[in-house]
Amino acid sequence: MSIQLVDASLFASTEPVALQGSACATCGAHVFPAQGSCPMCAGVDVSNVALPTEGTVWSWTTQNFAPKAPFRTDEFHPFSIGYVDLGSVIVEGWLLDKTEWVIGEPVRLALAKAWTNDDGTVVHTYGFEAI
Amino acid sequence: MSGANIDNEVYIVGGGMTEFGRFDGEDQELAEQAMREALADCNITWADVDFAVGGTNGETKPDNMVARMGLTGLPFITVKNGCATGGVALMTARNGLIAEGRDIAVVVGYDNHARGAFAASPARYGIGDWYGETGMMVTTSYFALKIRRYLHEHGIDERTLGYVSEKAFDYGSAHPLAWRRKPVSVDEAIDSDVINAPLTRFMFCSPDAGAVALVLARGKRAFELCENPIRLAAVELRGRRPGSFEVFSPWLSTGERTSPSIDAAQAAFATAGITPDQVQVAQLQDTDSGAEIIHLGETGLCANGEQGVGYLNGDYKIDGKLPVNTDGGCLANGEPVGASGLRQVHEVMRQLQGRALGQQVPNNPRIGFTHVYGAPGISACTVLVKEGANS
Ligand SMILES: [Zn+2]
Repeated sequence: MSIQLVDASLFASTEPVALQGSACATCGAHVFPAQGSCPMCAGVDVSNVALPTEGTVWSWTTQNFAPKAPFRTDEFHPFSIGYVDLGSVIVEGWLLDKTEWVIGEPVRLALAKAWTNDDGTVVHTYGFEAI
Repeated sequence: MSGANIDNEVYIVGGGMTEFGRFDGEDQELAEQAMREALADCNITWADVDFAVGGTNGETKPDNMVARMGLTGLPFITVKNGCATGGVALMTARNGLIAEGRDIAVVVGYDNHARGAFAASPARYGIGDWYGETGMMVTTSYFALKIRRYLHEHGIDERTLGYVSEKAFDYGSAHPLAWRRKPVSVDEAIDSDVINAPLTRFMFCSPDAGAVALVLARGKRAFELCENPIRLAAVELRGRRPGSFEVFSPWLSTGERTSPSIDAAQAAFATAGITPDQVQVAQLQDTDSGAEIIHLGETGLCANGEQGVGYLNGDYKIDGKLPVNTDGGCLANGEPVGASGLRQVHEVMRQLQGRALGQQVPNNPRIGFTHVYGAPGISACTVLVKEGANS
């Protein structure tokens, strides 16, 4: 069964879920999403890599108003956004299921429902949930 | 300035500024008003101007201002660098005067934005649609994420954010051209609606309308046009390096944090031969209350972490050791993007000349500093020096 994703290129796999970044052969930097060059050292010898799926909250906030288009949602509720330190890279994403967080709190990657298409298909994005 | 060749020095000799806030007309009406005021401020006409630079974030073309001002054939350069537009325009004008041996330049910045937070298109920033579709392409959440981390790293109390807002609206309420002229207490700022935690309604600036123009003159000409010319001792622009934390970043690197504001400020102080502790009045990009706190540290005007005690002591108030954003900053003036950086320079110019429109910094300040910062990771800083005294 395939899952509808906001952008399939963000994911290395969905079962189990893992984000796809790129790794630079020259300087070792990991970036997300994957790109064809390295912004850290300007190198071009890069390859895709599945990023670690567990990390800690590096910073967080709440989104208390509905963003303008192109934001999509079935029904807006305030939600949390954070940066999660995965060790090799700090990734921005939704923080799931609550709106109070602590810097340093351990979290793990998960799929989350983003919105429902007109044909009823549920579109998923990634987020991080408290461990 | 001893020993320097005055022919390579550029001075601000006149300024004009419209009221900031909501405006129903054309943005170029505002630009024209500011330009005519700036010319009148130093008793020249458009025909005397050799060179012009204009900036806006909107759709109109600044170089078309010649249709309103007069077709004198002068070269008119347009810049568009987001929140740093004013600083870039000023730098371009300064460099043009020196490189081409011209005498007088006009710099103008203006905008008239629609209500509400800026809507950004992911594609314009080279990011996939998913980033906007999932609600992360929002400037205000970026500000919140950045200040949350900064407060954590430097052990600063969240309540400090309320002190920034109180100060801004206090000075805004005393300034005849400011948009927000109603005082807000520390508690009111902290207890109002949360927009992106920990930032509340009174901790953000909003897009609005306004225009600012400055007249620059090179060398001796400046002293013929103005009693108190303000020397542009430095204007430096820097872009981001690895490790900076910018708006619309789906990822950050884990290494040492850098910032274009740190780099631009250091360069400006080095060029001017001035140290941060000599600054007597400063304007810092305060698109949210957190940004003023961060930029105090990044520009070197205080040590990172010192801000908590500094705001409690009133260090950054008009009679404190370093008055900051004496016209209410972006918080009280809003941010017409193209005009905002020039508003800062206009305010510092007037403070140094002793003719502030709002509250005047006491004891004849002679060294000023301005800082703008914007997407996608650029900063421009100036050092401004009042000539005459102590030279
Ligand atoms: Zn690299």
